[in-house]
Amino acid sequence: MAKESSAMDKLSESPIEFIREGSQFLSKCKKPDVKEYTKIIRAVGIGFVAVGAIGYAIKLVHIPIRYLIV
Amino acid sequence: MAGFRLIDLAKPLQSILPEIELPYENIPFDDKLIYTFVSALVYILCQFPLASISKEHIDVKDPIFFLRNVFASETKTLMEFGLFPLISSSLILQLMAGLRLIDINFKIKSDRQLFQTLTKFLAIVQYIILANIFIFAGYYGSNLSPGQILNLNIQLIGSGIFTTLLCEIVDKGYGFVSGIMTINTVVIATTLVSDALAFNQIAISDSDDTITEAQGAIINLIQSLRASHRTLMGNIVSVFSRDYLPNLSSVLLCILVGVAVAYLHNIRIELPIRSTRARGMNNMYPVRLLNIGCLSILFSYVILFFIHIIAFVFIQLIAKNDPSHIICKIIGHYEVVNNYLYVPTFPLSLLTPPRSIQSMIFKQPLTIIVFPLFLATTGVWFASKWQAISGSSAKDIANDFKEQGITLTGRREQNIAKELEKTIPTASTTGAAVLALTTAVGEFLGLKGQAAGMVVGVCGAFAILEFVTLEYQQSGGQSMLAQVLGGAASAFQ
Repeated sequence: MAKESSAMDKLSESPIEFIREGSQFLSKCKKPDVKEYTKIIRAVGIGFVAVGAIGYAIKLVHIPIRYLIV
Repeated sequence: MAGFRLIDLAKPLQSILPEIELPYENIPFDDKLIYTFVSALVYILCQFPLASISKEHIDVKDPIFFLRNVFASETKTLMEFGLFPLISSSLILQLMAGLRLIDINFKIKSDRQLFQTLTKFLAIVQYIILANIFIFAGYYGSNLSPGQILNLNIQLIGSGIFTTLLCEIVDKGYGFVSGIMTINTVVIATTLVSDALAFNQIAISDSDDTITEAQGAIINLIQSLRASHRTLMGNIVSVFSRDYLPNLSSVLLCILVGVAVAYLHNIRIELPIRSTRARGMNNMYPVRLLNIGCLSILFSYVILFFIHIIAFVFIQLIAKNDPSHIICKIIGHYEVVNNYLYVPTFPLSLLTPPRSIQSMIFKQPLTIIVFPLFLATTGVWFASKWQAISGSSAKDIANDFKEQGITLTGRREQNIAKELEKTIPTASTTGAAVLALTTAVGEFLGLKGQAAGMVVGVCGAFAILEFVTLEYQQSGGQSMLAQVLGGAASAFQ
């Protein structure tokens, strides 16, 4: 707990320090390579569109119902 | 106060509030998948228009339009407030418990149950308060009869309790991850797909019913090539810029935000680990940049929601949105835009994402600084607290390592926690800041809350996908559905 509250103090004292630390951290990070990235995008994209399409199909049911009750 | 604990307040409520029973036995993988997605789909089905709204012209417009996407809410339907009360009560209470503001011991079963009841109760109370704020502010019409008020209350609160239970089904082990997250993700995915590909036709002109346009932007693009009520050029411009229905530029921007978040989600730092029990077992332990996911953004938006609701109470309920009233002079008033939005003026506009780039530069230039700053500070503050209490803090991971006989390569066992403490808080706070900036940039391009929605949706999708894959591997691959979904799951691994 002490550690993160000191991190918080640092943030309120000097945002510049926070940004420097953050960008240092970012440069150390491993970024996904193109092959991995396209794979991820494809997987999530397919999932997103599939789920969204099912959701939209259900929303279509609303159109006649709204027509009936309004 | 000695001996008094906030969660004890929930004791008498336990017998009143409806509750989902825990499953008797382990739910198989397929059933869990079905429970999860069907409860999200039931939620979508419940977005029915509210009955007994005044038929006359209503002056009060939507003051929280830019927050709706994040909380899966639909205006003037049963899901008017969406998941907001659930998200805010569980986030705030868990944060308070983690910061020891509520005295609770999560190791005791009865304490955990009380905590759940308290969370649920707080959510329902919020539904009640919000419903009545909206009713008495005149959002559903200015002179409602008592019967109408009662009817609206029953609808809004009833659907709120229903939503709470719907989430609880998933949470209590019938489904994957958390109910809030899955419902939110599915609703956001639905919004994106219907914005892009919806083919239902909507009449766009008040005078002539025959002039219709497709709701989805991509379908509209195809149709506009042969539409006759404008010139071809005018049609194409309208496809990209219409503001009465989703336009193509905002759909493309949404996809762009989603792709960017997917990139951020896969940035990680890899710590080399090795087993203390077996020789030559070297591996990498990834610490994600976004290790608290979209929670920091959700937290910022919960605060934004509270600010805007309180402002709405003051401006609409007390000052009647009269620009000459003293309250409106201090915190600003609402201007009606496009006949369906309430856009606040300065100073409240500082915390409102602009509707378009032009209006941002000319009407609210200060927002460019204040809004991202707000998102970043609240997000980073939340991240710095949350990572310590969420069960994936440096200490917890160090304990896990010890139990599994893992150590960081080149470190003494005692130093593992210290080394992790150097990495994990930095990762959480930096991740929260980066996510806040991404959201702010998206919002500035005029997405009206869809950017934040996409951030939450994509992060949620990753969490669900990861959890499902893990569960699938643990269940030993005995799943009929997996053969259908196997493509997506294996592509992710």
